[in-house]
Order: sequence, then structure tokens, then C-alpha cells
Amino acid sequence: MAVTVRVPGSLREWFRGSDEAFCGAGTLGECIDQLDSEFAGIRDRLLNEEGEIGAILIFLNGENVTKLEGLATSIIDGDEIGIIPFAAGG
Amino acid sequence: MIIDDPRSKFVFIYHPLVLMGRSYTVYQGKEMTNGEVLEYWGKWLVLGERPWLDELAEKLDPYVERKEIPVIKYDRSPPLNLGVEECVMMVYCDRRNRDEVWKILTQFGIKMKAWVTERETMEMWLPGGLLLERWMASQDYDEATRDAVREDAGRRISHVLDNPEEIYKTWEQ
Repeated sequence: MAVTVRVPGSLREWFRGSDEAFCGAGTLGECIDQLDSEFAGIRDRLLNEEGEIGAILIFLNGENVTKLEGLATSIIDGDEIGIIPFAAGG
Repeated sequence: MIIDDPRSKFVFIYHPLVLMGRSYTVYQGKEMTNGEVLEYWGKWLVLGERPWLDELAEKLDPYVERKEIPVIKYDRSPPLNLGVEECVMMVYCDRRNRDEVWKILTQFGIKMKAWVTERETMEMWLPGGLLLERWMASQDYDEATRDAVREDAGRRISHVLDNPEEIYKTWEQ
């Protein structure tokens, strides 16, 4: 079992046409690193120049990770991460 | 009841009583205060193409009629001016009921779980908030108009934040 990362249809190009990708357990930051090694450029799409979560919203099992521990948030096998454009949250 | 009025940016799904003036920010039969809305009210987000959301709306309408979901709204067209290429459906409910509402959504194939609180939404639309500023930039307003919009947004939202005991009143959209 792994961690599932989901994006809406408009962001499928990030994952080469799929709306799902996978990473291993650890922290959210490590998951992003893993995704970036598989899908080049993902880190820049998700994080700003300061290396913080930028113009998107990231949810862990439905919760906005900025309300958890941000990139340091622990993730375990079976968790689900959702990524949507920031403005969709308004 | 699906309310599809072209004058609104959104398509709404209301219980008929809401159209008669009844509030939808209700918990256990009692209208919620501003403070309760800030603490408990929020929405599940569902992103998709408009035709798919129209179909989903038809399926969710009975749940609103049975008061299992308090209210739903979705974009008439994608908010491209805010950088979003799909329509967004917002399925509102009280945090204390959100697991039941999520179970309903999963019956219709929704997988991505994204909960945003009303407090977070208000913060995005406060003066200086990312969404308010992005939206104003897309409207090509002059600086005087931007200041007026900021003042109006600040006044409305500050009223909610500063009066936690007052019964919450929704805004026309």
C-alpha cells in the first residue's frame, strides 16, 4: 500500500495524464520530493520560491495541511493527498 | 431544488424552505451564530466540468430536499479569472456532520477529499487576502474602486468576526 496523491482533471498534465500518483510514507515534503523525481517540475508547481506551499491547496485525508504541520506533516500508507488550485477553495 | 438563475455566478441547490427565508446555517434545528459558523461551518470541494456537475447536482438534490445536505452551490462557468480551469462545487455542511455528507459524495464517485472551513474562506477574501486581490486584479479596477471593494469586504467579514453571538446572515451572491 502507498500514499495516493490526487489532482483534478485540469491538473492531470502534472502526472502525465493521470489524476493519481503515488508516493511512500514519511512526510509531505518527502512525498513531494519523490513525486518530483518521477514528474519533473512538480516541486516548483507546489512550492513557492521560499520552498513553502504556494498557490495551491494540499489536503491530507481532507484536511488542509497548512492547518496540520505543513510540509512536515507525517503521512502513512493508505493516506490520501488532494491537490487543487488555491482559488478553488474560495 | 436546483436554482439556475443566469444572473448569478453560481447554480444553487436549496431546500425549498430556504427560498421562503429559512436559514440553511442550522445545527440541530437552531440557527447558528457567527461564532458557530466560524468554528463549524465549511464545505467539501468537488471540481469538474460543468456538464458532470449538472448531473451530480441532479443526484444530490434529493439529499438537500431531505435536509441531509444543507446547501450546495457551483460555478456556472470556470473561474478562469482566478486561475481555476474547472467549475467548483461547494457542498456545505457543519463539520460535525461532514463525515455523513462525505459518505453521500463517495456514492457518486467523488474521491478527492478537500474540506475548507468558512473561516479559511473569509480569510482569503479579507483585504489583502489572496483571492480578493487576485479577483480585483482580474476586474481591471482603478485604485479607488479597489480601495472601496477592500473596505466593503473588510466591513462585511469583520462584522462576522467581531460579533460571534449574532445569528449568522448569509450574503446575496
